[in-house]
Amino acid sequence: MAEKQIDFDIPVDGSDLLESVQESVRACMQCGTCSGSCANSFAMDFTPRHLWRLAQLGETDEIFNSKTFYLCSACYYCTLRCPRGLKLTEAMSALKRLATARGIKRHRQSSKFYEIFIKTVERYGRVREMEFINRYFFSLKDPLLPLEFVSLGFNLMKKRKIPFQLPILKPVRDQNGKVKYFEGRFERLFRKVEELEAR
Amino acid sequence: MKKKIGSALVVGSGISGIRSALDMAEQGYQVTLIDKAPHLGGVLTQLDYQFPTDHCGMCKMLPLVERDSSSQYCLRKGLFHENIDIMLSTELVAMEGEPGKFQVMLRQEPSMVDQERCIGCGECAGVCPVEVSDLFNAGLTRRKAIYLPIPHNIPNSYVVDMATCTHCGKCEKICPTQAIDFGKEARKKFRILVVDDELIVRDSLKEWLLDEGFEVHMAESGAEALEKMSETHFHLTLLDIKMPGIDGVEVLKRAKEIRPDLPVVMMTAYATVETAVEAMKIGAHDYLMKPFDPDSLMPLIVNLYHDIKGANVQEMEVGSVILAGGFDSYDPFSGKNTYGYGLFPNVVTSIEFERMLSGTGPNPGKLIRPGDGEEVQKIAWLQCVGSRDQQADADFCSSACCMFAVKEALLAKKKSGGKIDTTIFYMDMRTFGKDFQRYRDQAETESGVRFERSRVHSVDTTGKDDGRLRLAYADTAGAIHVEDFDMVVLAAGQRPPSSTQKVAEMCGVELNQWGFCQTEGFSLSRTNNEGVLVGGSFSGLKDISESVIQASSASLEASRIIHSKGGGLSEEPSPETDVRDVSREAPRVLAVICGCGGALSNSVNLDEISNWLEAKASVSEVHIIDSICTQDGWDNLKETLQNNLANRVLIGACMPYVYARKLKELGNSTGLNPQLMEVVDLRTLVFPGGDKENDLLKQEVRTVLSMSIEKLKGMDPLPVTTSKIIQKALVVGGGIAGLTAALAIADHGFEVTLVEKTGELGGNLRTLHRTIEGHSPQELMAKTISRVEKHPLIKTHKDAKIIYSQGYVGNFSTSIEREDGHGETIEHGVTVLATGGREADTKSYSYGESEAILTQQDLEQRLAEGTVAPAGLASVAMIQCVDSREEPRNYCSRICCQSALKNALFLKEQDPGIDIYIFYRDMMSYGFMETYFTQARKAGVIFVPYDVNQKPKVNLENGRPKLSAIDPILGREWVLEPDLLVLSTGIVPGDGLGVAGQFGVTVNQDGFYQEAESRWRPVDFIKEGVFMCGLAHSPRSIKETIAMANAAAQRSLRILNSEKLAAGSVVAEVRHSLCSLCERCIAFCPYEARHYSEDEEMIVVNELMCQGCGSCAAVCPNSASVLHGYSDQQVFGVIDAALENVA
Repeated sequence: MAEKQIDFDIPVDGSDLLESVQESVRACMQCGTCSGSCANSFAMDFTPRHLWRLAQLGETDEIFNSKTFYLCSACYYCTLRCPRGLKLTEAMSALKRLATARGIKRHRQSSKFYEIFIKTVERYGRVREMEFINRYFFSLKDPLLPLEFVSLGFNLMKKRKIPFQLPILKPVRDQNGKVKYFEGRFERLFRKVEELEAR
Repeated sequence: MKKKIGSALVVGSGISGIRSALDMAEQGYQVTLIDKAPHLGGVLTQLDYQFPTDHCGMCKMLPLVERDSSSQYCLRKGLFHENIDIMLSTELVAMEGEPGKFQVMLRQEPSMVDQERCIGCGECAGVCPVEVSDLFNAGLTRRKAIYLPIPHNIPNSYVVDMATCTHCGKCEKICPTQAIDFGKEARKKFRILVVDDELIVRDSLKEWLLDEGFEVHMAESGAEALEKMSETHFHLTLLDIKMPGIDGVEVLKRAKEIRPDLPVVMMTAYATVETAVEAMKIGAHDYLMKPFDPDSLMPLIVNLYHDIKGANVQEMEVGSVILAGGFDSYDPFSGKNTYGYGLFPNVVTSIEFERMLSGTGPNPGKLIRPGDGEEVQKIAWLQCVGSRDQQADADFCSSACCMFAVKEALLAKKKSGGKIDTTIFYMDMRTFGKDFQRYRDQAETESGVRFERSRVHSVDTTGKDDGRLRLAYADTAGAIHVEDFDMVVLAAGQRPPSSTQKVAEMCGVELNQWGFCQTEGFSLSRTNNEGVLVGGSFSGLKDISESVIQASSASLEASRIIHSKGGGLSEEPSPETDVRDVSREAPRVLAVICGCGGALSNSVNLDEISNWLEAKASVSEVHIIDSICTQDGWDNLKETLQNNLANRVLIGACMPYVYARKLKELGNSTGLNPQLMEVVDLRTLVFPGGDKENDLLKQEVRTVLSMSIEKLKGMDPLPVTTSKIIQKALVVGGGIAGLTAALAIADHGFEVTLVEKTGELGGNLRTLHRTIEGHSPQELMAKTISRVEKHPLIKTHKDAKIIYSQGYVGNFSTSIEREDGHGETIEHGVTVLATGGREADTKSYSYGESEAILTQQDLEQRLAEGTVAPAGLASVAMIQCVDSREEPRNYCSRICCQSALKNALFLKEQDPGIDIYIFYRDMMSYGFMETYFTQARKAGVIFVPYDVNQKPKVNLENGRPKLSAIDPILGREWVLEPDLLVLSTGIVPGDGLGVAGQFGVTVNQDGFYQEAESRWRPVDFIKEGVFMCGLAHSPRSIKETIAMANAAAQRSLRILNSEKLAAGSVVAEVRHSLCSLCERCIAFCPYEARHYSEDEEMIVVNELMCQGCGSCAAVCPNSASVLHGYSDQQVFGVIDAALENVA
């Protein structure tokens, strides 16, 4: 029997992706392996199984009101153990992308976090903590927010988890030698890939 | 009476193989029963306790009529039936021909141990240097390369595991009876030609092979090799592939021209492996990889030698083949193994746990942790390991594990006096069989087994070094629990046996997507090859009673094929032997003592025994004959008896149970009734290891001998009575079960009367339009009815009922009355009751108050009629287990989950937009039905589990159902207003007491027929000659009903096949002068073989039904009831003899 392949790589703007998520968890029989396995379930408002149940029932609003999927750390335990062989981690990622694309306010912090994180990675091929944190705080446009993280930040810096680093950016110039913008070492690579993919 | 024309081959000697073999043997066919393993019994040899009695009881499968054809002996230890040839360590290697006439080739592994000489002393295992894990104890113990496959087997001889044996020869030297022979002498005559261009290879091979005792010749080139081959006859050639001049492959080609039968083994380096494989295709026997290491190479060569020389290949013709290869267990170590099996010693499989409970297990039945021997206090069972798991390629349910776990939990409770804490983690508790639900409920409420609905994801240690195991799981509401256990038992699922593919190809049968045997349409036993049938778990996943039913169904189909191909059972008159009447002669016992190849004569002074025996008044002569078990010894015995006036024979040898057939034969040739012959076991007494004092041993030998003499002295055999059988059958019920049974019996040439109470045949099939697999019940029904109506041997009475029946097996007389008032009395030998069942009525959930509330059967019917159109439906809700699985109807109706899945899938297929909700307690999609459960989920059907204490509520609003229920995952109430509410009300028995009462058979508390024994005799009533099938036994699918009908027909045929049936030689009798007619014996007889005859005013024993158990003799206050061969006088004599020699 040819299994219908579930494609999570379709554009995020359509509702197709949501349907894909729903489709992908239809065979779920609520055995609870994922919930039991989940390392972050203690922090979630719904356990993963609860979320899949909502997906089966088409309760989209409730899903996007939940922070469960944003708390998925993609450890892949559930995917590894699911007796139905469901691609649960991918479904979680798809939900994150959907929430970002939909610009759901409740998830702005999380969306921005992911967005800035990946932008930093695009610059350097790795995350540079100091720069990432700063850009993240700026993007949230909430001057009070960083205050909440002060003590954590100090602790991390004490343990040298966040080194002092300035951005390493090279100027990109036009034909006249005028600086157009600054870019990280890796950005050109990503741009090239984008160009190729667009073709 | 001799009556065998047809023959059959049964592959696999597990429970279903034994059942099939016994069925066909009882019917009169000659059966060859083979098994790959060196022992009989399959997986059941490892299981001591079986649901629901927590005992064995396998012996209940032994023949009940013509009992003397088989030894009445523990079936777990051995099977001795005169029509069954058992070949162990044997595989089917080739099959040709057509149904009714197959040529099969069987290959028996050389055993190395002469079964007749081996006395089981175990000296060999003592010296064997090889130690491997013992599969009998599921790897929990170690064994030697020479070992006893099963500790309780009889005869129990050692076998050599050729795969691990190093051929060191130590056992051969130490064996006291020279039973072990690795053929060193024969090896000297085994010529091997070594062909290699490299001197060093030639030389070392020569040296090694000479050491092993072979004759070795060498050739340094292809040309020389070919020359030598044409001159000398070699038994084996070792041929190098890469040689200058003519290369190995070319030599092989030419060698095949010179001597086509010469086995050639290619020698190859890694680089030329592909060439070697090519060479195998053009006729090379095997290939060996260079470089060679003598320690590993020589065992290979020796195995090749045994392969070529030793293997016993037999060809035979059989009418049909029954495949009953059983199953393999899923290995939890394979795959992701999140349960740490093989890593944590206290994680075991269910089979391992079963072995740990067993007296023959690793710690003689004591339940301790395998890792450290610590006491066990808390055990968890994890269900569905390697089942219902698509990541383990198992979109099926292994069907048996749920009950297995409940049974094991109960056994653990029992063993520990209730102290052990037991928890079963499950997804759906599949208690779909007869009486399963009550067993499970009792486990929970009475014994305190905890049932936790959750799939545990992994097993971890506690982090401390205490050997305990930590489970974390989410309960239904989503809360995470962490709990520590001493042991974890994994319910490892079933897999097809590894050889299935090979066997399937050989027999030309198809496999399903999971590698189990695919059966045809509505049959559970027919394959796409007409002459090849399957029984038991070989076609997938079943418990004992289903295996037994299906095995009988397979033997029925096999018999039908043989019969239809003209190879049926025609009776061959055999000369009636005149049995000498010795009743008026004084007892003269001929005593024969077997020296047992020296085993007995070494331990006791045989002359002394002989003199002592001769001094006894009743002993006329004493002979000492060595090895009576050999043909020579037996001929010697026969001769001695023929030239003798003795009228009793006492044989002091070993293993009395294997002599049944031989004694019969001896009786035939000498005219002495075999009952006047007795074999006593002397050998067990002298088993090495006992270290008995010589005097004690002497005393024991004397005691058993004089006990037997006393028994023989008092023996007054009556001629074995035979009863005439009316070779006709009555089938009650015209549903698919009755129709199938009638056809099966009639196809064997016997007249059948079919009685149906309604005006139409077909029963429930009339309302069924699809099966979940997509077959058409209507077609099946039309075809079957038309066959029945056209069958010249079947007479059908519609609108008729049974008004009276009397009689016993072989001789029933039943009156029927038709609706028009006409009656008829039918004489018949057997009765098949197939009175069916029907969908239960209900008053629950407002059924009957709204057009929108239907039963599953209503829905199916209306969909077929078109009165319900899928297009007009927006949402449908179904509720399972309506009034079922709770008292008073506390049983699962087994088919409702299937029906719900079937109807839901059909609706989704018609219109994927319909919302379907199924409210269930446990989805009983056992076996391959599981895949439809998956499909239904994928199709978007929403499944909502509910608790029996919190059922969905249904109200009517404006005549439309409004349903509210709790979703346990979301923890909130749902309210649905479905267009249709469909209730799965389950099955209730159709007849109830009416017909059962007429035939004097019983029903259980739910009104289903009460079988003689739920596992081993699932279609028999206690009353012999009456059989049951179909829904009247318990709810079941069409396929399962047909299998059961075939099984009932099979059980009938073994009686109908003969004009006369012989009773057993040991039967009870009533001395009427002493009988006070208190009738206690009637109540006590477990086989209903006694009744009070009002005409004669006396207790009458039906000798065919009497199984000689002696209950009646024990309960009778006047000693009026006696058992032949066990009269009071005799038994007291035996007791006196037992005590006489005690110092």
